[in-house]
Amino acid sequence: MKVIEIKNVVKIYNDSEVQVHAVNGIDLSFEEGEFAAIVGPSGSGKTTLLNMLGGLDNPTEGDILINGFSVSEMYNGIEKHRSRISPVLKTIFRITIIPAVIRGIVKLPDIVKRMKAERKLIDFRLNNIGFVFQSYNLLPVLTARENTELVMQMQGVSKEMREKRTKELLGAVGLGDRLDSRPSRLSGGQQQRVAVARALASKPRFILADEPTANLDSKTTENLLDIMEQLNKMEKITFIFSTHDARVVRKARRVITIEDGKVISDKKTA
Amino acid sequence: MILLIGWKNVWRNRTRSLVVIIAVMLGIFGGVMATGIMQGWIEQRIHDCIYKEVAHVQIHNPEYMYNEEIQHTITDYEKLANILDTLPEVVAWSPRVKLFVMAKTSWTASGFVLKGVDPEKEMQVSELYQDLAEGDFLEGEHRRPSIVIGSKAAENLKLLNYEITSEKLDSIDKEVFSAGLVEKLKTLNKKRFRNEKDFRDELKKVLAKREMNEYGDKLVKYFSFYRMGTSIQVTMQNKSGEIMNLVFKVRGVYKTFNSVFDAMNAYVDRDILNRYTDLAGNEVHEVAVITADNETGVKVADKLSAYLPEQDIMSWRKSSPEMAMYTDFSAVMAYIYVAIILFALAFGIINTMMMSVLERIKELGMLMAIGMNRKRVFGMIMTESVFLTLTGAVAGMIFSGVMVELFRRTGINVEMWSEGMEALGYASVIYPSVSLGNYMGITILVIITGVVSAIWPARKALKLNPVEALRTE
Ligand SMILES: Nc1ncnc2c1ncn2[C@@H]1O[C@H](COP(=O)(O)OP(=O)(O)O)[C@@H](O)[C@H]1O
Ligand SMILES: [Mg+2]
Repeated sequence: MKVIEIKNVVKIYNDSEVQVHAVNGIDLSFEEGEFAAIVGPSGSGKTTLLNMLGGLDNPTEGDILINGFSVSEMYNGIEKHRSRISPVLKTIFRITIIPAVIRGIVKLPDIVKRMKAERKLIDFRLNNIGFVFQSYNLLPVLTARENTELVMQMQGVSKEMREKRTKELLGAVGLGDRLDSRPSRLSGGQQQRVAVARALASKPRFILADEPTANLDSKTTENLLDIMEQLNKMEKITFIFSTHDARVVRKARRVITIEDGKVISDKKTA
Repeated sequence: MILLIGWKNVWRNRTRSLVVIIAVMLGIFGGVMATGIMQGWIEQRIHDCIYKEVAHVQIHNPEYMYNEEIQHTITDYEKLANILDTLPEVVAWSPRVKLFVMAKTSWTASGFVLKGVDPEKEMQVSELYQDLAEGDFLEGEHRRPSIVIGSKAAENLKLLNYEITSEKLDSIDKEVFSAGLVEKLKTLNKKRFRNEKDFRDELKKVLAKREMNEYGDKLVKYFSFYRMGTSIQVTMQNKSGEIMNLVFKVRGVYKTFNSVFDAMNAYVDRDILNRYTDLAGNEVHEVAVITADNETGVKVADKLSAYLPEQDIMSWRKSSPEMAMYTDFSAVMAYIYVAIILFALAFGIINTMMMSVLERIKELGMLMAIGMNRKRVFGMIMTESVFLTLTGAVAGMIFSGVMVELFRRTGINVEMWSEGMEALGYASVIYPSVSLGNYMGITILVIITGVVSAIWPARKALKLNPVEALRTE
């Protein structure tokens, strides 16, 4: 069953007059249970593509379907409510320097609608996608346990369930004895494993990891990949990760190579 | 969890948070003190005004209010006395004969209000006897009758003199005044001065300029004395309109915080005065009433007006309308002061929260990416700000509570401005007075400031685009 379908996606950044085609026409799809690597040199468009897969960014052209839901459609739902003050009113605001408060009040209904539409998207991400970032990005004030629980709490999972699952997950990534450590007391590899546990906590359909091993040495890279592979095999969790590290690529069962925003090869191994 | 993160975030940058917490604490302290001092001042002023000047209720013959002449005494004094004795709210009352007189000493003359009072009754409605600088309040029998005058009147009548005597030189504080200084002062031994200026001029001649600047005021105060027992000739009209001259001896000098009052009011025994003015014992111009408290005073005035429609009855509010005005004015001043403090505080909080948001852009981007909606992000930052101010507010409440209690015991000395203050009737030692309502009010205002100040930084966080935020380093 397809979890992600990428349909002729283009992403153009308008960077000070110059148009950057970060993603330049990609067609791909991912099945449930895949363990796929997106490989390419720096600047090839990996992060841009993963962001769109995660619903963090809107394709300029084409569409992405996640579980059948259109990312473009969700973004259009938000953009529809971009405040449409009449040009006349806008000019009046500008000339009279009407305080921000009044402007805010005029825009309020649109803002509320937009926030509602956006919340749909955020909740969609919360419940369907797990994220792992290159620089771990744990909350430094929370312990490993609290970092993992946070997502479930936002989902409204009961306390017992949260505690049980947090212990399971941190145990699965080999941190059963570091539950109450803060990130600053953990090594880079350990922090990234907490990040994997956090990504799994919400029971997402798939996990997106943007260069998860880029900040790790080879031994911890190996260890993290083993854990990911195990989770993928035992728990049937779909992993899509980007990398430009050959050792990581070797572990992947599908390797998609991109260059200049285009797929140049898509190979399945074993 | 949002609350937990908010609380933990407060302590992320300890120094920065502590600065804000201390600022909030001092802000509350400043606000509480400002209000406390203002209120303490006003309460003292109102207390003095009532217990030394106007009492809670004053009763006059309406005629007397238009024309303060000797024959306009209260009608049906017996009925009034009866009512005052039976009303349970009345704590004490005192009848007064009130005449406008000219007073003369061998050196000068001055006009004032001569009040004939029954000393025992007067001492129950007026605390003036507690403010005697010298002498007593109409005690004992004397061949020449006694008069009690105010310190300002004594000064005006040149009864405040200055003399360096060997006894005073002997008992001078050797710690403060050096032996050399005392030697210089000895040259002025036994010279008497009738006013401060002459004494100062003379001091200037024998003392170095530096010594004069440092000790001048202290010396003037130390060597001053009231010429007790001096005769004062009082000129007035008796009941039949004849001009009378009476001689009293100064046997008491009082000094309140109100120098205008001190200049104007003198007290003698009513019985003695009546002998010369031909007024009978039931002929008085004014009756002063003291009740349990200020508000009861106003109620009693209304009650008496109903019982005694033929008299002019004034509560302290009516006889001293400026007191009510002072109260309002002080409240306005306190609010302005608190507003300034809050304004400064708002800047501190905005700055701190803004820095707190700006250095966490990446983290906020991550939270939004993994599914924290904007309402929660906003809530998290607001919580942080509220916790920050709340911590400061609690610390500030405790700190100012302790300080106010301390100052209530010792009083705050504002002697350096006391000249000007006393001319306005204010004490030079202030006992701050703060109600629980004041505390709550100021604390709530501070917390509101914390919340409002966080809106801008929180809005900044709301506007973040998670993708861009995550790309920042
Ligand atoms: N916000 C942006 N504005 C303008 N250009 C961008 C932006 N984000 C990425 N790019 C450009 O898009 C291209 C692809 O970037 P990225 O997806 O980060 O590649 P990778 O992750 O493979 O290194 C790069 O040329 C980069 O400079
Ligand atoms: Mg990248």
